[in-house]
Amino acid sequence: MQSMELPLVLFTVLSQAAIGLVLMNAVRLHAGPGGGNARKEWTLVAALMGVGIAASLFHLGHPLESYRALAHLEKAWLSREVLAAGIFFALAAFAAFTGREKGSPVLVWASVLTGLLALLASGMTYAPPALPAVNNALPTVFFLISAVVLGAGFASWFAADGNQPLLARIFVTALVVGLVVRLTVPCAWLSGSEIMRQTGMAWLGAPLYWIHIALMAACLGVLWKNRAIPVWLPILALAGELAGRAVFFSETIHTAVNIGAPY
Amino acid sequence: MKKQYAFLVDSEKCIGCFTCAMACRNYYHQEKGVVWRHVYPLNEEIYPHRERAFFSLACNHCENPACLNVCLVEAYTKREDGVVVHHQEKCIGCGNCIRSCPYGAPVYNPVEKRAEKCSFCHERLDAGLLPACVQSCPTGALKLIDLATMEPGNHVQFPPGFPKNDKVNSSTRFIMPKVPTMVRR
Repeated sequence: MQSMELPLVLFTVLSQAAIGLVLMNAVRLHAGPGGGNARKEWTLVAALMGVGIAASLFHLGHPLESYRALAHLEKAWLSREVLAAGIFFALAAFAAFTGREKGSPVLVWASVLTGLLALLASGMTYAPPALPAVNNALPTVFFLISAVVLGAGFASWFAADGNQPLLARIFVTALVVGLVVRLTVPCAWLSGSEIMRQTGMAWLGAPLYWIHIALMAACLGVLWKNRAIPVWLPILALAGELAGRAVFFSETIHTAVNIGAPY
Repeated sequence: MKKQYAFLVDSEKCIGCFTCAMACRNYYHQEKGVVWRHVYPLNEEIYPHRERAFFSLACNHCENPACLNVCLVEAYTKREDGVVVHHQEKCIGCGNCIRSCPYGAPVYNPVEKRAEKCSFCHERLDAGLLPACVQSCPTGALKLIDLATMEPGNHVQFPPGFPKNDKVNSSTRFIMPKVPTMVRR
């Protein structure tokens, strides 16, 4: 088991919640006028991303030198992630300070674009060659599912009544996809290379992994019964995603742990 | 091929004495818990004999280093002789290189709060000396080689027990241990 990387857990999950919120904002724009309070929604987007970025600084040995993080945009996905997250935060903060109750489609689509780029850069950053189980598209898939689950959940706080069934459908679909992916991927790893097998065993043996699964299932159960998203449900989904992300960082096995043994 | 300094690990000669790892620590006076060179015993599934065999490993000074590619502050450079150098004064301690290197070469220094790794003793190389680990090896199991001029031989790049990663293309070469001779009287 490696470090849980709590600052990175908070940064990735909160930033994905913020990106998910603007994604849902764009979906609602496409679905037609539905009312809601855009300014409050942008304030939450900016707050989530701001807290996430602040949390990520605690991960650094030298947070005061973080201003140099854009030095390697040419190759390092982490530099690109920092740039995209920074632009996204600036757009959200601008929208929150200058916006009115009705949101600006230009800001929404600009934020969607930078948010998706930030999500892709995040996915590439956390898919290094040293972690064979996730040295692929899986981190991007995990992060996109988190963004949609949390985005649909938190968007229900701001959307008009007419848009609530649409958000509930997206929330349910993302939860079902998330459950299927989360349950099948570790099982598929068991038949992979030695490090993948060890990662599968570690994930399936981690209490936090099962807490994540249980919370996703509980959210689905609540939606099944209520047919709408209760105001407290996004918090439950957020707790699940935090648990799942902690498993991602702490239980994914590094190739260096097996040197001298078969791969 | 351009000049590429590399370590040749001769597991037939290595006796697992840890002198290379100790020489590295003595030379650089690393903080407690910070180790640049490890001596890994080969698992019995790879070397099923009573006598043990070992891989002495530090940084592999890869052709396409994962650490260099992921470092967001450009704290890594690759010299013309192939040595990958970590410039600790530039490092902000994000740990991305530690997470990304398939061989676990960069390590976190909890006192400096920055990463660090084997430098191939490049200052000794520049002075015409051997790296401390190579110079100290009592059996000659660790050698300095240049892949550009190395003759073909019985060395391998990715032996069992060593993570294979073609993308980063590790420079270290290995001579595998022979099966022990059974003497019956």
